[in-house]
Amino acid sequence: MRIKAKLKGDVVKVKAMAKHPMMTYDIAEKKTGSRDNANFITHWDGNVNGKVVFDASTSQFLSKNPIVKYEFKAAGFKKGDKLTMTWVDLKGNKKTGHTKIK
Amino acid sequence: MQRRNFLTLGAVAAASAVVAPALQAIDYRAEKPDAWKAKTVDDALKALYGKTLADAKEAHVTVKTPDVASNGGAVPVDMSCDVECESFALLEDVNPESLVIVFAQNDVTIPKNSVKIKMKKSGSVYAVAKGKDGNLYYAKKTLEVALGGCEG
Repeated sequence: MRIKAKLKGDVVKVKAMAKHPMMTYDIAEKKTGSRDNANFITHWDGNVNGKVVFDASTSQFLSKNPIVKYEFKAAGFKKGDKLTMTWVDLKGNKKTGHTKIK
Repeated sequence: MQRRNFLTLGAVAAASAVVAPALQAIDYRAEKPDAWKAKTVDDALKALYGKTLADAKEAHVTVKTPDVASNGGAVPVDMSCDVECESFALLEDVNPESLVIVFAQNDVTIPKNSVKIKMKKSGSVYAVAKGKDGNLYYAKKTLEVALGGCEG
């Protein structure tokens, strides 16, 4: 997971990219013959020191290697704080990444 | 199947242990499973919020995409809402299911997001926010898709 977090004024702006094929049911059927091979990120979240700053539930329709941009209020956070993000996919795989807020 | 549910529960339980319940954001995948199977915008909204687009006001929300997307596999969408909301969702009316993503909101999140999505063909995207006042707000953008994106 590639994450960039920047504190600007009273907002932290984040851009994150996950590496995931985001294989839809249709593509799974077409390329592998079985819809059971579909797999895509279903939940993606982020927290700074345990405080949730990002929470997205997702479908098969995000692009492959999905990118998301989000923002949260900077109050209570500062440069150097650690942002940890985790995604979970349909088959139960999990991946965590982190960065320091710059 | 069971393993996936266990992991999802585990993730939610772990987060709940660290953050006060009042500040917790909802996992819409776990809480509203029917919304993800809905084939139309109204069915998805009914499953999510118990309302349809006719109940929503076209205000407070903006959604931007190119007028013509050259690659249906990666259509850039910018969405934002200028009122406090509980959740912020993106839907479309061209893919096998309508709901694309739901951003749960809490006291620190800002409803302003960018994503890249798949669109099977030309059609419309809808950004819908559930305001803290209980109202639904939305914006709609119609666009052309040069090369459909659901087939890889």
